[in-house]
Amino acid sequence: MNLQLSHLQSMLLFALVISVAFGFLSRRSPLDRVKYIAWSLLLFLLIGISIGWAMYPFSR
Amino acid sequence: MMTDKTQVSPTPPVDQKRQTFAIVCGLAGWLVPGLGHALQKMWGRAIVFLVTVGALVLIGAGMRGNLFDSNGNDAFASLGYVADLGTGTFYLVAKYLEPNGADVSRAVGDYGTRFLAAAGVLNFLAALHAYEAARGRKA
Repeated sequence: MNLQLSHLQSMLLFALVISVAFGFLSRRSPLDRVKYIAWSLLLFLLIGISIGWAMYPFSR
Repeated sequence: MMTDKTQVSPTPPVDQKRQTFAIVCGLAGWLVPGLGHALQKMWGRAIVFLVTVGALVLIGAGMRGNLFDSNGNDAFASLGYVADLGTGTFYLVAKYLEPNGADVSRAVGDYGTRFLAAAGVLNFLAALHAYEAARGRKA
């Protein structure tokens, strides 16, 4: 098996899987879980992309 | 009316049973992701932890991430080994899926290492949750 994923694809997959797991770990009702998963996923992506852009000037 | 008498009773057998069951759930959850919750009939959580930890291991091994072993030379390698061991039996699955070993010469391999470590830490959390739930502390 040899997966070739880009940085963005890896981050998306990671954020999705971890958000779902955390949602089920910390919330009981289905609605709370969905809300938690959506927020967690959004924050993962927002913070990840922000850090990426913050590092951009130092990448050259 | 209040009395000064304090009664110290031995731990009831039911609590002892519950404690033993909680330890079994924690260990089972560590060995096979989701099993600790399955033993408590928390089917949703059991399936989610099996799938999420399994997916992280599959993706990490597919990216040829570094699966640490016990012969680590520094603290990071030892910590990585502990994190990887968190996946329980899935550690062996990851080893089986990487017959040619890790390839961290590419960025993808490095991402794979993080996926494998995250799978282990996530499963530790899930096993701890199963233990606590079995003790009745949270669900």
